[in-house]
Amino acid sequence: MHQENIHNYLRSYFLANDCRILQEKPGLLNVQLTIELDKELMNRPFYWHYLEKTGGTPRPMTLTLITNQNIEENGEFVHFGAPRLHQIFSSTKKLASSIRLYEDVQTSYQQQYPLHPWLGLNIKISYQCDRKKHRLLSLGLHLVSGAVVDDFHNLLLKKALTPKIPDYAFTVTPIIKPESGLKRLEGVVEMLLAKEDVQWAEEARLRWASDQHLLDQFYQGNTNDQRYEVEKEALRKQYEPTITAEIINGGIFHLVPGIESQPYPT
Amino acid sequence: MLKTELQFNQEWTNHFLKQIDEDGPWANWELFKLAIEAENHRAIPSFTGLQAPSHLPHLTPHPYQLEAARRVVEDMNGKAILADEVGLGKTIEAGLIIKEYMIRGLVKKVLILVPASLVSQWAIELNTKFYIPAVVQRKSYVWDQCDVVVSSIDTAKREPHRSIVYEQQYDMVIIDEAHRLKNSRTKNYEFVQHLPKKFCLLLTATPVQNRLDEVFNLVSLLKPGHLGSFENFEKDYKGKEKNPEDEERLRTLIQKVMVRNRREDTGMDWPERIVKTIPITFSPEEEDLYRSVEALKKEPISTRSQFSIITLLREICSSREAAYMTLKKMLEKEALDEVTRAFIHSLIKKIEGVSTNSKAQKALELIQSIEGKVIIFTEYRATQLYLQWFLKEHGITSVPFRGGFKRGKKDWMRELFKNHAKVLIATEAGGEGINLQFCQHVINYDLPWNPMRIEQRIGRIHRLGQEGDVHIYNFATKHTVEEHILTLLYEKIQLFESVIGQLDEILTRLGMRDIEKHISDILLHSESEGEIRIKMDNMKELINYQKEDSDASRKYS
Repeated sequence: MHQENIHNYLRSYFLANDCRILQEKPGLLNVQLTIELDKELMNRPFYWHYLEKTGGTPRPMTLTLITNQNIEENGEFVHFGAPRLHQIFSSTKKLASSIRLYEDVQTSYQQQYPLHPWLGLNIKISYQCDRKKHRLLSLGLHLVSGAVVDDFHNLLLKKALTPKIPDYAFTVTPIIKPESGLKRLEGVVEMLLAKEDVQWAEEARLRWASDQHLLDQFYQGNTNDQRYEVEKEALRKQYEPTITAEIINGGIFHLVPGIESQPYPT
Repeated sequence: MLKTELQFNQEWTNHFLKQIDEDGPWANWELFKLAIEAENHRAIPSFTGLQAPSHLPHLTPHPYQLEAARRVVEDMNGKAILADEVGLGKTIEAGLIIKEYMIRGLVKKVLILVPASLVSQWAIELNTKFYIPAVVQRKSYVWDQCDVVVSSIDTAKREPHRSIVYEQQYDMVIIDEAHRLKNSRTKNYEFVQHLPKKFCLLLTATPVQNRLDEVFNLVSLLKPGHLGSFENFEKDYKGKEKNPEDEERLRTLIQKVMVRNRREDTGMDWPERIVKTIPITFSPEEEDLYRSVEALKKEPISTRSQFSIITLLREICSSREAAYMTLKKMLEKEALDEVTRAFIHSLIKKIEGVSTNSKAQKALELIQSIEGKVIIFTEYRATQLYLQWFLKEHGITSVPFRGGFKRGKKDWMRELFKNHAKVLIATEAGGEGINLQFCQHVINYDLPWNPMRIEQRIGRIHRLGQEGDVHIYNFATKHTVEEHILTLLYEKIQLFESVIGQLDEILTRLGMRDIEKHISDILLHSESEGEIRIKMDNMKELINYQKEDSDASRKYS
């Protein structure tokens, strides 16, 4: 992540959280936190507790974040490894866990138009043994026909979306309930994974078996030894291949019909 | 083929369904998009390669350090002995590896066990260089509440800590100065052996200090069975003729779990080591004292055996104070016959007659001629105290340094030396684990007989961050045991200039790990100077022969 990306990210984050930007220049951002963000980021529960007890005037803090090391001003240097950035990443995820949006279409004749309901999920798959990697998936499920679309998020980025239903739009009632929609997408993920190459997991199991073999030799059948059990369990934790799916965020999207006719080949 | 099970986390699902029921509150679209952007940056696309460097813009690791980290993660599955020579930055390698696993979400809880004197240094380095929130274990609750804990092994192994430590589910265990765990019968070894080690790093600059079974113990701690069971190891490698094939096999096995960088392999320009021998001439009183002890070798065994002659001789070369302490301790022993007691008294009388210390005098002159800071290493506490007093008499400020100092005190003494004093006087045990690269001069006031210890000393200053050349002054009193050691052993094998890792190998191969004992035997059991010289020459030849051999094979590898 480049330093300019980080700057832009921070800027968007604070603006999206209704913070006022007090000063901005390339590589520097000075923001006035809201009460909510102060509580979210500044880790001073005692102050806020005290304030609520005494009824004083809340004074949320300001933050100066520097993304260009050459700037000689007081502030926190934020880079890709900075704890502050990762705190803000996590905060973003927490604050943006689920959403409902409507597609906004400019109609010239004040014509009413239908919007179809979609369930969209952004999913992070973790493949873990003694190594780890991720795969991100963005799936959309058409809650009328059951069609599934891949790369759903990028599709959404091309649309004008609004949190309130537009004046001339009306929504079509879903046939698939969100709850069963979630189940269906879970099934899709499983199906996708079943098609993947599992060599990594097989190799991890071989490494595991080989270390387990050495361990057995070392204890020479003396498997009652407590140390043997400790080591054996440690090997399982080190090597056992697992795949986990975590939903980053998701929501209900009411969209102009059309995309469901080019579904993802499942 | 076994199926790898997929686990879906349900937490989000439940929350989402509740929000649908309650019709919100819903997130804002901007933040929603940002969350995806953040995940795109955080997601790790591949099992291989290092993520850590992109998280550490302030750190510029050397290529060999990055390669070490990569090898540990990719080739050694996260269990390794990091055995770079002193001063090459094993801590940086360890930090890179911890960071890599933390970024990948494979490691959350880390236990770092280090000598007490290094606890705060480790915590500071991990926090400032790696943004790893390592916490020094000072209160009991730290074990439970902090994910990355730095502690001394002596604290951790004691109750009530021990039980709490065992309750934690550590993903990674790091042990610094791990050569201290070479003996499998110690409490420390047993403590570490019972720790679950999903990932584990053992750090040591001297992986094979003495014997083969020590390597066995270290490797077995990391990866039990890698060198077979103890019985098989004994059978295969010990007590029989050295078989080159067996040795090669062992070497290959060890290399699978060990990263060992040597200065010369790093491809970097290291500051030079400039070594000078400073001969010392005894004053007549000192000479007389020395010869009286030496003459004991000719006494009948009953008298002779009461004295540790070699120790006394070495002490006299250091300071009369050091010798005095030993004699005083002997007098305190009850079972001492009259002859011996009388002899000790006569020696003490001679000590009292010694009015100067020729070596200290020489050290003073040298220190006065040096512009920068100087470290003096001595083997004896009494000498350390004496030198401090002596230098003060001549207006030179010095700071003492010992292994026994508490962690805080060591850091404090280092700062004092850096900012306020000209000289640091360290005893042997103090050498480990402090970094003094701001200093360029080392006086080996008396020489340890184990060459590995010399390297530990020099490594304090000849390390990453040292910008100038390193000057090493070896003091040796003429016509004494010191001269034998220095001229016949150290100089001829060019120990100071050459690289210790090599010597380590050579001595192992020769079965001479316990070189101190060999020398001691030669000195004690030789009838004449000539015999000592011949025997020492023999030893030297043997070592040099092996060294050329190893130089040659290195060229081809």
